[in-house]
Amino acid sequence: MKKQIIRLSILLILFSSYSSYSQELVELKKNKSNKIVLKYMFNTGSMMDPAGKEGLTMLTASLISDGGSAQYSKSEIDDLLYPMAASYYSSVDKEVTVFTFEVHRDFTDEFYRIIKGLLFNPAFDEKDFSRIKSNTQNYVDQIIKASSDEEYSKMALEDFLFRGTTYQHMIPGTSSGVSNLTIDDVKQQYIDYFTKDNLIIGIAGDYNDSFKNQVLEDARQLPPLVKTLPKAPQVPMPEGIQVEIIEKENALGSAIFAGFPISLTRSDDDFAALMIANSWLGEHRKSYGQLYNKIRETRSMNYGDYTYIEWYERGGRVQLPLAHVPRHSNYFSLWIRPVQIADQLKMQYEELNQVEVGHAHFALRMAIREIDMLVNNGLSQEDFELTKQFLRSYIKLFIQTTSKELGFLMDSRFYGRKDYITELDQLLEKVSLEQVNEAVKKHLQVDNMYITIVTDDSESLPLSRNLLGNKTSPMSYSNLVLEGLPEEVKSEDEEVANYKLNVKSVDIIKSEDTFK
Amino acid sequence: MKLFKLLPVFLLVIACSPGKQESSTSDGVFPYTIHQKEFPNGLNVVTVPYESPGIASFYIVVRAGSREEVEAGKTGFAHFFEHMMFRGTDNYSKEEYSNILKAIGAGANANTWLDRTVYHMTGNAGMLDKMFEIESDRFMNLNYSVHGFKTEAGAVKGEYTKNYASPYMQLNEKTSEVAFDTHTYKHTTMGFWEDVVDMPNQYEYSLQFFDRFYRPEYATILVVGDVTPEQVNSLSEKYFGNWERGSYAPEIPVEPEQTATRFAHVQNANFPPQLSLNYKSPAFDATTKDVAALEVITQILFSQKSELYKKLVIDERKCRSLGGGIFFTRDPYLMTVRASLISADDLQFVKDEITAAIQNLIENGVDQKIMDETKSNLKYSFATNLDSSTSIAEALSYAIWVSGDPEAFNTFYQQIDNLTLEDLQENAKKYFIPEHLTISTISPAEEGGVL
Repeated sequence: MKKQIIRLSILLILFSSYSSYSQELVELKKNKSNKIVLKYMFNTGSMMDPAGKEGLTMLTASLISDGGSAQYSKSEIDDLLYPMAASYYSSVDKEVTVFTFEVHRDFTDEFYRIIKGLLFNPAFDEKDFSRIKSNTQNYVDQIIKASSDEEYSKMALEDFLFRGTTYQHMIPGTSSGVSNLTIDDVKQQYIDYFTKDNLIIGIAGDYNDSFKNQVLEDARQLPPLVKTLPKAPQVPMPEGIQVEIIEKENALGSAIFAGFPISLTRSDDDFAALMIANSWLGEHRKSYGQLYNKIRETRSMNYGDYTYIEWYERGGRVQLPLAHVPRHSNYFSLWIRPVQIADQLKMQYEELNQVEVGHAHFALRMAIREIDMLVNNGLSQEDFELTKQFLRSYIKLFIQTTSKELGFLMDSRFYGRKDYITELDQLLEKVSLEQVNEAVKKHLQVDNMYITIVTDDSESLPLSRNLLGNKTSPMSYSNLVLEGLPEEVKSEDEEVANYKLNVKSVDIIKSEDTFK
Repeated sequence: MKLFKLLPVFLLVIACSPGKQESSTSDGVFPYTIHQKEFPNGLNVVTVPYESPGIASFYIVVRAGSREEVEAGKTGFAHFFEHMMFRGTDNYSKEEYSNILKAIGAGANANTWLDRTVYHMTGNAGMLDKMFEIESDRFMNLNYSVHGFKTEAGAVKGEYTKNYASPYMQLNEKTSEVAFDTHTYKHTTMGFWEDVVDMPNQYEYSLQFFDRFYRPEYATILVVGDVTPEQVNSLSEKYFGNWERGSYAPEIPVEPEQTATRFAHVQNANFPPQLSLNYKSPAFDATTKDVAALEVITQILFSQKSELYKKLVIDERKCRSLGGGIFFTRDPYLMTVRASLISADDLQFVKDEITAAIQNLIENGVDQKIMDETKSNLKYSFATNLDSSTSIAEALSYAIWVSGDPEAFNTFYQQIDNLTLEDLQENAKKYFIPEHLTISTISPAEEGGVL
């Protein structure tokens, strides 16, 4: 522990702002590291896409990170960097765009000389534009709908929850938005929003002052910010529970994502309190959560069930949160991984051949009822203490690599913090059970939310009727599981099957009609 | 596939001490010392001290995966069993186990692949004793109910269900089934769907599975982070010293030589056309040049630096993406070239371009410069990825499961360093054989149609 304190103190000393430049600088000096990480975080994201040009910011960033510079073509850069095994990429979210460059310290200066033109003098070549636009169009039109129903349901929920705002569309864009983009749009977006005045630079690893100063000096070439940066939209709470079912052919299960807006971000000290309650309820990819225990472990319904108090990027693939998705407009969300549909249950078990609806309705009721009970009953002292202990250690795993540590430091600035992870630990240490339960009552509820379900076209109509009619949804177990099921589980199932959901609307949407 | 990128470059000088303890030191690329101790019961313990204040990564690598599923109707069982390992013991119920993991503040999970099952937790190094205690308890005393077993089978089905949404998964499943006749690589780690559905009926078999494979001779304990080898060895002795050695050794069927090109196809009109060429490749062996040569060859032929990539992806734009590499596996498996196409009309053209590039290398070889640059690329790629206890543990666990030896990649990279231009040509000729190829496609057509 002592080592940790010393390390953090050093970090804070090294962590400085350069007031002589308009850009902010975040430093993370690590002399023992064998590499350099350089990041440029622009306060510009898909939120800045003009109406009808959805996808413009991402295409602009992609053209920088996957195109050429005035000096070198994309292929020439690939050739030059090949022996170094250097990597660089862009990531775009609603409000920020980040370019990350990583290279072994043996090549720092040579690497920087080659790549700096990408950011400061991008070629914006017509052929690169055409290639990247075509791939983006394909992603929006086909890949997102056909690769992972879980990811699809998450994108569809954001489309639903933020409808009519600049947060609505997927970051890669909409089908018509991408189709409308031109190379001139890209050039204009670059001038308007990739400027020296909405930029935070981050440097980490084993670098020297001369390199750092060169990086800062070069960044001054970027154009000044003339546009006014828009504010993130604040969306109202929906009236009741509103459901959109997206139907597609040959889905094996029902993938569910739900959410409602909350007025809380990492900027707020209350975030730590709500984080404890959320972790207890449904920590991402952990077997400790209440929902995981009830839905997966006890009832065998799916692969996992989790909740979130902020956007969790690439949740289907990663087990720890990623940096560079900071947002001012936030929502609570519930992720129920695919559950069985009626057609599959009928096929697998003779005893279930009369089932009309699969497990989606029951799973939703079960999860929402658990949230309801958390709001009404609060956490116990024991659960509070254990979850707090867990988080105070677990959050340190978020920043294990140099790149992630730098990333979280830079994101801290977005939220008006210096060092989010360190400050979060201090907040977690201080928070009381009463504060946690108050935060739950203030921010969580179950009467109003948006739900998206991606499912098979055989399931959509019966499921929608059940949801809209608030019909009883008894859990349909196979005999194999039913015969050993404890009485208390059966009894709880009775209550869950009749638990009222405040469903106000259910719409069925064809997959081909989404993200247009 | 990121697997190719996991390929480590260990340039280590081995310094063995008397007895069964060994340690190695580094000359720079892998700057951490590897300590090893083999216990009398066959358990290998590997420790790598690494500056990660207060954090330790604790891994147990079990060299049993879907490769070991030799009996009919039991495909997917290694993975299923991985799930069962979280179902509790007489000492700690699954709830108590979870609560201890929470107290450790651990990111903990497990995963299964062809040749292994890996259990891992990264958390508070100050609680290393507790990590050892709960892991030894479940590895030696696992005890779940029949109902718990049947219930967990539903979660596996749920996992299959989520994976099935991906056409890539559907294609992988078909490719394996077509490419192999007798070897257990014929099925994926998830197993055949009918076997997954039947899993709840296999309780008795699960006891046998545990008895066979959850034994010290199949396992390696690997700890990386804020720890010492003395501490790790002492805890290993305390908690795993009494683990009884088993006696089971599976007979993995030997795959007969493939004699003609095979074909696998998935019809899907709502997905970009895909082409993958899958050549039979040798098992990982650090003592010969073959896999090292194929690693370099596939990088030269199919990376973003390659002429083929520039032609098909950047200049002519026939493909949205292109890549390829060799899997490191215990038995002969597949090396794969994958392309995502813009138009299904170009499937044959792209296939012909790929095979022409291979043929060109066989006939004309490559330049010294590109070979040297590729060696450099592989070395630096590995070196820059080793910057957390988790990433170091991941790399070492790979070496352990594929060879049984955490130092194996040291030898392997010496092989890469020693490769000559002739080695590349010879091995390309030896392994890129049309009769050993399976062509896999996704397109709107009923059949793949690529020859």
